[in-house]
Amino acid sequence: MSDRWIDRLSEYLDDELPAGDRTALEAHLEGCAECRDTLVGLRRVVTRARALEDRLPSGDLWPGIAERIGAHGAAPAGVTRFPRRFTFSVPQLAAAGIALALLSGGSAWLLHPGPAGPVAVQPPPAAPVTPALIAPGRRTRSVRSYDTAVAELERVLAEGRGRLDTTTVRVLEQNLAVIDGAIAQARRAVAADSANLYLNSHLAATMRRKLELLRQAASLVATAS
Amino acid sequence: MVTLRPDSTGRTDPDAVDATLAASGDAHAFERLYRSHLARMYSLARRMLSDEDADDVTQDIFVRAWQKLGTFRGESAFGTWLHRLGINVILARRETLGIRRQRYVDGDATLELLPSRRGSPEAAMDVETAIDRLPNGARQVFVLHDVEGYRHEEIAEMLGLASGTSKSQLHRARMALRRHLDR
Repeated sequence: MSDRWIDRLSEYLDDELPAGDRTALEAHLEGCAECRDTLVGLRRVVTRARALEDRLPSGDLWPGIAERIGAHGAAPAGVTRFPRRFTFSVPQLAAAGIALALLSGGSAWLLHPGPAGPVAVQPPPAAPVTPALIAPGRRTRSVRSYDTAVAELERVLAEGRGRLDTTTVRVLEQNLAVIDGAIAQARRAVAADSANLYLNSHLAATMRRKLELLRQAASLVATAS
Repeated sequence: MVTLRPDSTGRTDPDAVDATLAASGDAHAFERLYRSHLARMYSLARRMLSDEDADDVTQDIFVRAWQKLGTFRGESAFGTWLHRLGINVILARRETLGIRRQRYVDGDATLELLPSRRGSPEAAMDVETAIDRLPNGARQVFVLHDVEGYRHEEIAEMLGLASGTSKSQLHRARMALRRHLDR
């Protein structure tokens, strides 16, 4: 019986034994089948513990949480709800909303100047219907809505950046630069292959990311006011 | 002053943005955080306590998180902050439950009552059930160390134990589970 060593096997497994004890235990393992078998079993337990998957509760807990925190407009305890200095006009909100709607749902959005006729686009995955048609005139309006929304949000961010600390501003600018680079790359790809639905979807998704980041940034400016 | 810190890749943790918004009262942002972290926190509560307590405690964790959002500074990932807060809520609940629960007292005997389903599709759940039958102290340490990845020093601090006790409880839990899984 090798109880002395069996009780140290977990420490050995976790690499927490002093070097001298480790060497001694390894020498012992060579001649002790019981300890070797136990070590294999312990290792199996650890492996299975690490492989356990998280699971969701059977019901949604959010309604109860929302009720307890007074989710409709309440601020967390000890936190003063910041007055929003920045407000968006109805046209600004409408432009952002239209732009997001156009960019959402996976709809391909052909920005590259295309043929004179209607352009076929991929329908959203959730609504697999016959590919829709977007007339060039509407497409142009969509681009304009997006550009307007982006411009307005960039203006809000530019005016409010002084209220954010430099690290935050730097991180936001880095992320925006990354997204702008991705948009430029996607635009070039679409320009080279305007009928490619994947490229168009990718471009739309990238533009949506920029819009969402700008919206978050504008919210941060508002909360920091 | 709002501070967002980039991660090692230079990008901002999106959770940190939502946490900042939630701290200013944005319940939608907080709901996004809830959806992102629900499975992990619920599973932690279930493993540390029980199925029957997990729903209530998970709700408590998120309510406490909402109340404490003002203390989240973004110095660690939001998930790390929430996890630690969740453990504190769970341990507080454990104190309450410990008063009325007797099966935690001691022994590996409860594991002996379990059928083993080694190698079956239900094996993972079987491990969960076996964990649920561990003696209380061994169970807490096992979940925190082998499932959640905490070190003995951290566990000892959380549970108010000596580090050596945490190690011996872990070994005890593993040995009990090994016997169960090896059947």
